[in-house]
Amino acid sequence: MNKKRALTFSITRTVAAIFIAILVATLLIFVSSKGNTVGAKFSETLVALRAMLIGPLFRNNGSFNTKGFLEILALMVPIMLTGLATTVMFSANQFNLGSEGGIMFGAFITALIAIYTPLPPVILPIVSILGGSFATMLLLMVPAVLKAKLGVSEMVNSLMINYIVMYIINFLLNTRFMDRTKGQVQTLNFQEHALLPQLVGRGTKLSLGLVIALVVVAIVATVMYRTRWGYNIRMIGQNEDFSKYSGINVPFYIILAQGLGGFLAGMGGSLEMLGRYTAYDWKSLPGYGWTGVTVAILAGNNPAYVPLAAFFMAYLDKGCEMMSTYSSVPAQLIDIIQAVIFLFFAADNFLAGYRQKLVIKSAEEDAKAANEVQVEGGK
Amino acid sequence: MTEQLAIQMKKITKVYPNGVMANKDVDFEVRKGEIHALMGENGAGKSTLVKMIFGMEQPTSGEIYVNGEHVHLTSPNVAISKGIGMVHQHFMLVPSLTVAENIVLGMVPTKSGVLIDFDKAIEITEEYSKRYNLVVDARAKVANIPVGMKQKVEILKALVRGAKILILDEPTAVLTTQETEELFKELVDLKNQGFTLIFISHKLNEIMEITDRMTILRGGKFMGVHETKDTNPEIISRLMVGRDVVLKVEKEPAQPTDAVLKVKNLEYVNVWGKKMLDNVSFTLRKGEILGIAGVEGNGQKELVDAIFNFIDVDSGEILLNGESILHTNQANLRKKGISLVPEDRMLFGIAAKASIKENILSDRSGDPKYNNGVLFNMKAIEDDTKQLIKDYLIRCKSPEQEVGMLSGGNIQKVVVAREFTNDPVLIIADQPTRGIDVGATEFIRKKLVELSRSGIAVLLVSADLNEVMELSDSLIVMCGGEIAAYFEDTTDLDDMEMGKYMLGLAKQDEEQIRKVRHE
Repeated sequence: MNKKRALTFSITRTVAAIFIAILVATLLIFVSSKGNTVGAKFSETLVALRAMLIGPLFRNNGSFNTKGFLEILALMVPIMLTGLATTVMFSANQFNLGSEGGIMFGAFITALIAIYTPLPPVILPIVSILGGSFATMLLLMVPAVLKAKLGVSEMVNSLMINYIVMYIINFLLNTRFMDRTKGQVQTLNFQEHALLPQLVGRGTKLSLGLVIALVVVAIVATVMYRTRWGYNIRMIGQNEDFSKYSGINVPFYIILAQGLGGFLAGMGGSLEMLGRYTAYDWKSLPGYGWTGVTVAILAGNNPAYVPLAAFFMAYLDKGCEMMSTYSSVPAQLIDIIQAVIFLFFAADNFLAGYRQKLVIKSAEEDAKAANEVQVEGGK
Repeated sequence: MTEQLAIQMKKITKVYPNGVMANKDVDFEVRKGEIHALMGENGAGKSTLVKMIFGMEQPTSGEIYVNGEHVHLTSPNVAISKGIGMVHQHFMLVPSLTVAENIVLGMVPTKSGVLIDFDKAIEITEEYSKRYNLVVDARAKVANIPVGMKQKVEILKALVRGAKILILDEPTAVLTTQETEELFKELVDLKNQGFTLIFISHKLNEIMEITDRMTILRGGKFMGVHETKDTNPEIISRLMVGRDVVLKVEKEPAQPTDAVLKVKNLEYVNVWGKKMLDNVSFTLRKGEILGIAGVEGNGQKELVDAIFNFIDVDSGEILLNGESILHTNQANLRKKGISLVPEDRMLFGIAAKASIKENILSDRSGDPKYNNGVLFNMKAIEDDTKQLIKDYLIRCKSPEQEVGMLSGGNIQKVVVAREFTNDPVLIIADQPTRGIDVGATEFIRKKLVELSRSGIAVLLVSADLNEVMELSDSLIVMCGGEIAAYFEDTTDLDDMEMGKYMLGLAKQDEEQIRKVRHE
């Protein structure tokens, strides 16, 4: 199949999956909406859908919702990084799902550095971010090393690591690092000069983190497609036997891919903390890691498409929040929408018939083209 | 006449979706109550033919009759309902279940329709076991029983399902001599009880021992049917391995110089306990093509795997230019100048979803020529790929095209374009032209000769007799993991004689075989 057809297919497939997800969502909204008559339910559904699909960008009076837009951009930061993390790991065919625990771990380590290390401005946020990122890199290399050296499934290990991380952080937070002067369970405040500069007013919490995240997207895209390390990571993902035979050090790249994934997930937590918080208070897994998996799948494991996919997911997230504010439908609906999109993307045979048609079309054209070449050659 | 035939296949042709023609106008007839051998080399179309009898594949054209009835065997279930059973070469058993459970799988006896009746399963197993004199331990877990017993379980499985016609696909391939003898006794027993047996093998001796008649296939075509008692191994081997068209390759005589690869006393026993390499020693010199002929499965694959460190040999030495290369990883083997055209090109030779460019790059991504410090030099990669596409006549749209979309011959050209251009001192070409078109075949053969004459040592492993005899300067025949023969000169080789060594009917004396060590 040629490139243009392949692109047509993936766009069609993406749109179809999203459309079906929203259709399912509509049904659920209809069922869960208040109202005694069908008519009442119907109008409630319309209100909810409007809030979800249009609300994030346009107010009820039709004017542009600047605040909503900036919030979406802020929300993109952590899921872009977990999305990138997943993209890198999935490219190597490593189903490491540890970016969920990873982002929490990165956030916590960054918080500790930002609270306790006596470093000057500029240096402190950099060290905090890198500290959180490198610590998470080591964390996700645990399942990677076990996979590379002992053949243990990285999926099971990384999943379990998420919960180990969560409970250890809770333990440390409750015992050693809690700020007892506050009414809630959270750490001391970060040092003022650790916080990332805000791009606009403090209210939207849109920080320099967005710029950093976009730069990281560009770097990861370059690494994956323009360097030998990224190339080798992709090759072991495509065909491990072939890679080994070609002389690629497969165990090393299995570990590298997941280490890189850990680094990125951890950085997501770091940027989130220093960009949008003043103290660490996560007590459960934030969910950004799971969203990252959806982002990676939507982006087709291509880092360049991660911002787009992240924007979409952040938009939906914001939309669901708006919906729960303006109607009686709970915001958790986003999990269902995510799950449905996920389902249709993971299903290889979704629209397989359509793909087959495109393949046949391409094959026929190729055959025709080959004939023409032969005819020309025969002259 | 017709009702005497258990199976009758008329003008069967089978073309697979990838364009491979596995059978062409094959006629195959099996009489009721006989043991009928289906013979031929690997790739001769035996497996495809029996798969069609068992409903696993459907013929492209032709008709199949079972007991005189015209049938359409659309699935194994249909075949089973017609009384056909098959014992696969690779056992289809669940290792964690017991023998009895395996035998009743899919037709489980139950208590009041809900609970599995394990006692009944054991009862059924023991009843059949006794009736057909196939001794198995009904309560043992399949994982814990020997290979010979597993085979009996497979046979029982077919019998319990009411099979009257049994297909056995290379049943002796995994068995020891004693187990083979036992199996043969049981098969003759079954025949005497009125069963019809179709027996696939390429081992001549055992065919002569137990079959009544035999059908021979070569290159997917029917080569005749013979009464076993009226024939002899020479006739059969000629029919099996005889050469068709001889593709001539022009080549000057080799002028071999220093030893490049030295293999000494290699021994290897595989995980099933079968000895695959038995005291293999040879020397390959600069500038020559050393061919390794043999029926597949006689240790050639293991030899290549040993050199390229895909398996750990039990003992012996492998030296490249005097330096041991045992336990050297593939990256270092390649650095030392070993190239491999792998037997299974789709599994090892390429990443099907990656582009031609990416497939060429796989062994040289670290080359300073392609790296500007950190980043790839995309232009250099692109230019070199385009050059290789031109040099190796790879038919494609662009270097970006997915390799998996190319034809078999062009995929193989991508593989050789990579393997022949990384400055090798030794090229191992394992079945380099299997299943590819004539044009690509000729091209690759010419390249191999050209490279060897430029001073590269070439080890050519091929089950294609024509190919090894035509290309090699000298030739080893492997049989049963041993070197059965060594020919210093291939010009006047007789394929009849080769056939004898390949099929284990003859072996040269030690002195002649030792010559390949060039000591």
